[in-house]
Amino acid sequence: MPVDTPPIDTPPDTSPQMPSPEWHALPARARKLFVLIHALGFGVAGGIVAMGGATLLASIFDHDGLFWVAIALGLVGGIASGAWWGDKQYRHTRWKLDNDGFALQRGRLWQRESRVPASRVQHLDLKHGPLERKYGLATLVIHTAGSKLNTVTVGGLDAADAERLRDHLADRIEADVDA
Amino acid sequence: MPNACAITSRIASKPMSTPDLATAATPDKRLHPWSFLFVLLQQLRQFLIPLVALLFFGRGSSDDNGSDQWWPLIGVGVLAVISLLQYFTYRYRVDGDSLTIRSGWLHRSLRHVPFARIHNVVLHQSLLHRLFGVAEVRLESAGGDKPEAQMRVLRLDDALALEQLIRHRGVAPAADALAVADDVLLAMPTSEVIRHGLISNRGLIVVGAGIGALSQVSPRLLPNLFEGMGEVLFGWAGRQAFGPAQYVLAAVSLLLLFVVVLRVLSVAMALLQYHGFVLSEHGRRLTVDRGLLTRLRTSATRRRIQAWTLQEGLLHRLFKRRTLKIDTAVAETGNEKRALKELAPIATPYACEALIQHLLPAVEWPRRSWQPLHRNAWRRLLMPGVLFAIALTAALTWRFGVWGVFGLLWLPWLWYRARQYARRAGYSVDEGLIAVRGGWWSKYWRFAELDRLQALQLTRSPLDRHYGMATLHLDTAGASPMTSPLRIRYLPEAEAYDLYRWLGAVIAARKLQW
Repeated sequence: MPVDTPPIDTPPDTSPQMPSPEWHALPARARKLFVLIHALGFGVAGGIVAMGGATLLASIFDHDGLFWVAIALGLVGGIASGAWWGDKQYRHTRWKLDNDGFALQRGRLWQRESRVPASRVQHLDLKHGPLERKYGLATLVIHTAGSKLNTVTVGGLDAADAERLRDHLADRIEADVDA
Repeated sequence: MPNACAITSRIASKPMSTPDLATAATPDKRLHPWSFLFVLLQQLRQFLIPLVALLFFGRGSSDDNGSDQWWPLIGVGVLAVISLLQYFTYRYRVDGDSLTIRSGWLHRSLRHVPFARIHNVVLHQSLLHRLFGVAEVRLESAGGDKPEAQMRVLRLDDALALEQLIRHRGVAPAADALAVADDVLLAMPTSEVIRHGLISNRGLIVVGAGIGALSQVSPRLLPNLFEGMGEVLFGWAGRQAFGPAQYVLAAVSLLLLFVVVLRVLSVAMALLQYHGFVLSEHGRRLTVDRGLLTRLRTSATRRRIQAWTLQEGLLHRLFKRRTLKIDTAVAETGNEKRALKELAPIATPYACEALIQHLLPAVEWPRRSWQPLHRNAWRRLLMPGVLFAIALTAALTWRFGVWGVFGLLWLPWLWYRARQYARRAGYSVDEGLIAVRGGWWSKYWRFAELDRLQALQLTRSPLDRHYGMATLHLDTAGASPMTSPLRIRYLPEAEAYDLYRWLGAVIAARKLQW
């Protein structure tokens, strides 16, 4: 494998605000958000599935009590598995910003690592949902010109980190355009 | 076929006769005076169903008042006025290296389109356009779901002059530059078009569209037709007292008939769409002319090509042909396949290779060395099939008893297929290009210049981790979800990771190219 890559035209911005080029975990307060959101989503889904199953059960066994038991089980099961899943997602999400660009790791069972080279960033969005604002968090959306990976979304970032990431990547775009 | 190549021959015969080329900035220009007619026709096509419904509806309730049936005509009148307004308010002008379009009456818009932003120029001439000597021009940029500008319609020489200007980025070309004829890279004679029809499955599309249209008109028509035919056939067959051999013969001949009809339809479609296919090159610009009744001429610059696909299916191999396609960053709108996608609908393997070598001179093609996948890639390929086959066999045994065990006979076939596939699959990479090949019956090669890669992803499923493998996805602009993705499956984990890191560094150091 040839490794002698050509030198980068514009020297990377090494201003003091750049996050260190290693893997960063999400801040601890993002765990609550991940758990809450997944628990809600899974709970609703579990409730709906249980409703279908319960209607079937109630019609077969002709017993109304069973109906409510099934729905309660579905809701509790959904919330519990959602909370577990959210916690897993939180623990296995990591990001990194180095001279080459931005990288994101996700998942434990199905592992994904995405990399967006700094020279391929088209534009950036910073989102603050109401819950995220409460915890001082933000979502960074990186857009590329690609087709399958045309957006890379990182939720639950520390708001200050997200802003630094955005500023740094945006600076790189400008440097590329001027060059 | 000289009369079919109206657009091509026009350019070749009088390249310098359009005076607009001499000056880069032209005065305001309008669409063709008949353009309102074509806009009206287009709008009528959209409103056809409501209008027809209104016509029927109006007639039904017009017992007391006969004037109701005129409502549709009023609708058409309103549309005609709108079309006329559009004609009177639409103006375009060429300033140096950009195009300025003014349009609208109450809601006015001024649109500025730099030529450098245009990825694809489409000149479209339907049969009606050809009768009036006009053409529709579409200028498309990367992304977005609408063209930058759509001019319905311009006089043919105006359209050609505009196309020429965009080709030369607004700089009026010197006389000798234009006198140079376009280099023809690939021309398909009728025999090739017929071969293309035989290879491609267009007939099925026609049948599908026909069934769709028929069931729109009358939902009971097709089932009734089939029932009627079935009764006649089986009734007749029942009276003849055939043996099993005759039944098999009948089934086979019916099937053959169906296949033949499909292929005939397919050839007819290919002739309609690809008659007179010419791929030509003028400077850096590639142009495709094609179509029997509706002539289509699309062009894009060479550097707009994002990724390449070379395909060879079973039928391709039978005819010793391949298909060469490209991805451009232009968004396809709906089912209008107008962007430059096929460089060679079909051509001999040698011609495809020559085309690639010509258009990618800095790249080594065909590749001499291909890296294999993981040693156990075939096991990984086989695994999902084996699990499915076992589940299927279990279900069959439960339903049919011991005979269900024959479901396991599927396994050797799966094994053979996985071995063959893994033996052929591979990738090849150097500083210029990354290429992936795959398939067994139906082979494909997919490749892109490294500058065109936009993002990378490395994935590992639980099964992948069990075998110590990883899959590398390489994302390019304009890749359609229908084509085989540019990804290297089932690489040894360390190798995949090295490649991922190396590519990440290389792409980061290279500027984005559109």
